[in-house]
Amino acid sequence: MAQLVQALVLGILIGGVYALMASGLTLIFGVMRIINIAQGAFLILVATVTWWLWRETGIDPIIASVITTPMMFAFGWVLYRTVVSRIRGQSASMSVLLTFGIALVIEGILNVTSGNKFRSATPGYFEQSFTVGSIHLPKPQVYGFLAAVVVLAGLYLVLTRTWTGRAIRAVSQNPSAAALVGVSATGTAALAFALGTASAGVGGSILSVLYPFFPASHYDWISRLLGIVVLGGMGSLPGALVGALVLGLAETLTATYGSLRWSTLVFYLVIMVVLLVRPQGLFGARLREDGVTA
Amino acid sequence: MNAVRLPGFLARVPRSHLVAGVFLLAALLYPVVNPWSPYTQGVALLMFLLAIQAVSWNIISGYAGYTSLGHSMFLGLGSYTVAIIALHTGVNPLWIAALGGITAVVVAVLAGFVVLRTRGHAFVIITIALLLAAQILAVNLRPLTKGSDGITLELPFWSKDFQNIPFYYVFLLILVLTVLFSGWIKRTKFGTGLIAIREDEGKAAAIGVNTTRFKVLAYAASSFFIGVAGGVYAYFITFLNPLGAFAILGSVMIVLSALVGGRGTLYGPLVGAFIVQFINEEATVFGGGTGTRVLIMGVLLVLTVLFLPAGLLPVVQAAWRRRHPEKVEFTDQTGALGRAGGALTRDRALDELQTAAAADSLVAGEPLLEIKGASKRFGGLVAVDDTDLTVRKGTITALIGPNGSGKTTLFNLVTGGMQADSGQIWFEGRRIDRMPPWKRGHLGLGRTFQVTRLFKEMSVLQNVVAPLPDGRWRTMFADAVSGDEAVRARELLDVVGLGRFAGQRAGDLSYGQQKLVELAQVLMLEPKLILLDEPAGGVNPSLLGRLTEVIRELNARGITFLVVEHNIPMVLELCDPVVVFSRGRPIAEGEPAEIRNDPVVLDAYLGDDWRPPAAQASAAERPELSTTDRG
Repeated sequence: MAQLVQALVLGILIGGVYALMASGLTLIFGVMRIINIAQGAFLILVATVTWWLWRETGIDPIIASVITTPMMFAFGWVLYRTVVSRIRGQSASMSVLLTFGIALVIEGILNVTSGNKFRSATPGYFEQSFTVGSIHLPKPQVYGFLAAVVVLAGLYLVLTRTWTGRAIRAVSQNPSAAALVGVSATGTAALAFALGTASAGVGGSILSVLYPFFPASHYDWISRLLGIVVLGGMGSLPGALVGALVLGLAETLTATYGSLRWSTLVFYLVIMVVLLVRPQGLFGARLREDGVTA
Repeated sequence: MNAVRLPGFLARVPRSHLVAGVFLLAALLYPVVNPWSPYTQGVALLMFLLAIQAVSWNIISGYAGYTSLGHSMFLGLGSYTVAIIALHTGVNPLWIAALGGITAVVVAVLAGFVVLRTRGHAFVIITIALLLAAQILAVNLRPLTKGSDGITLELPFWSKDFQNIPFYYVFLLILVLTVLFSGWIKRTKFGTGLIAIREDEGKAAAIGVNTTRFKVLAYAASSFFIGVAGGVYAYFITFLNPLGAFAILGSVMIVLSALVGGRGTLYGPLVGAFIVQFINEEATVFGGGTGTRVLIMGVLLVLTVLFLPAGLLPVVQAAWRRRHPEKVEFTDQTGALGRAGGALTRDRALDELQTAAAADSLVAGEPLLEIKGASKRFGGLVAVDDTDLTVRKGTITALIGPNGSGKTTLFNLVTGGMQADSGQIWFEGRRIDRMPPWKRGHLGLGRTFQVTRLFKEMSVLQNVVAPLPDGRWRTMFADAVSGDEAVRARELLDVVGLGRFAGQRAGDLSYGQQKLVELAQVLMLEPKLILLDEPAGGVNPSLLGRLTEVIRELNARGITFLVVEHNIPMVLELCDPVVVFSRGRPIAEGEPAEIRNDPVVLDAYLGDDWRPPAAQASAAERPELSTTDRG
């Protein structure tokens, strides 16, 4: 019983972190209809920077997200303005290929500059846990979860309470109507891309403590994130939240009762089953334009 | 203008095939002429291997436009299949390499059936996921794959003196077969259908292309030769491990090859593969590890997407065409009839259409299409509201009504672009409202669109060849470039009077001409009922005259029409009966004369400033652009 509760709580903690990581991917898809394959590479980039900051200055890796988040926001904005915006209006497959290329460039740069080896930031509390009754909660997981929840709440407030947020949602629902009421689609897209990238700033910093990583780990991460987003419904923020929790739980339960070796396969299994049963995901709606354009 | 004059039959072969033939000859002779260059042969062999993969990838991702980022999975599947069987049975891997292809096809069909039933983004996601899942499976299924330790195979049975020359020829053979296969697909209606899916999937379904079957088949076709090559490759490297067999960098190089050379072209991926493998080889020679190569490939991919999205071959071809413009075939303005024998073939085509339209038990006047209580809502908006409508055989039924009254939505319900929320639709005594769009097309239901939806990148002739009148495999694999299908398409173009535009790019035609081509396209379905959505919108008066003439002619041969139109004079002259639609349901039906004077109709639709019937009579003789024209 204690084992089950332990697995459930751990699953929720991990799910929270996954939710944060997936939010950037789903935000970018929602506004631009771009599947950002580079989102996983952004995470690994930030994790590497965080690891380096931690080693050089001793700053706590999770707190380092105060530095990495604005850095990634700026990076995302510049990347959008200089590269991604060039393929606006081209077919969806071109944007996939472009972001795939960006992911490879980041992987290659990390590989060449920092070497192809496993890393992990190990601050003092790395192996400590909080103990509640018979349940042990590893401190890194708890801190990571709290940081993720705070950032997700902040993101939610930005999207619902600010003019920028409303503009982003307007563009994601109807770009031409948004343009008619004076919302610049390009400007908004750049902001959304930057916000989505910035969320990887926090996510990557958390990742550096929770999981060992190396440059090519980004494939593993992008597949997890895609699994979450497919499960929740592409472009839906609440969907990403629920998808992340479900997959976080599925992963810890498989690891607890099955074996760790198979736990990552759960993601791929979920993707297949969801696409078979409900292609639009849990929260995705079939839109009028999905049916036919007449 | 030919700089080089070629003898006899060679002059008729397209230039690209000639160039390919010369290269093939050189590749065949190279090991004979220069047998002691194992390094060059090794590089060439890897080029062949990459080319096999890129040309295969092109079938699903180039022709059909569904990008796969995990195509190297099939190489790994082929390798593991052959290696495992060879290990347990002792059979030489070369003899069972084809089994690798079969495994690849089985996996492609299963995965394809899961993701390719729907449109859009799921496919690209699943291709990455499958590759990584395959990696994990290969690591975890130790009893079968020996996990991360990998499988070691026996060394080749031939004497060391032959070096890798046998492998060189085997890969070259597979490459030639792959190119022939891809070229054959491109020539068939299967290939035309795939390109149609890439350009406009909804439209493809409306002209009888079974999109699910086409896509799954294309995915399977793109996997087979890679699987076979994988089996040979396992024997070539004699050692297999999960990370090497299911290499992501391999997938990257496949995508990059096709993109650099020109996706969607036959030879582009081949050219690209040679370039990319050459770069890869140079990077390795100059000491670059995996990291450097990933960086190089990534930069190349980004640059290609941004600055050379069409690829090398199409760009070179376009430049060639600009310098050597083709002579334009010019005939007089009477078009089809001016073409030698045009009038004759035109009549034959019309006769065939008549036979097809008569191939049912119905007599003129019996209900052909019956809509019973159909409704469709979009959120709170009721577009079609509990509608009953009957179209009788042999009529030209008009459907008129204000904008937003639900006419186009009704069309979509009938042709299957959308599913009705409730109600039934019957065609020729068969219930069709749960059928996919292509099946309705096969039954003889065709439609044109309010804003024409031709496949703009295809030629006019290809556009007309693309539709499939039935779901038989024979039809699907019929030759689309020459032979009966192309002849028929040409005849149908003559029917609408556009035969001389056959070779033009469809997107270059005027809007009115595109409408006529779309009509010819529908005729390829051998339709019994044609739904025309605003045929006159944006069409100039002289073309409009041609259009009504063609409609009358086809109707006289037994084809029934349902026409949505805002050009009231044209409707009143051409159609009988006329159905008036308002707020999602019919409010009146009758002969043009009745409708013209029906106060309910005048009030609901035509408005107060509609002229009295006396002034109408003269207007009806001379079709004019409608006041509500939206073209």
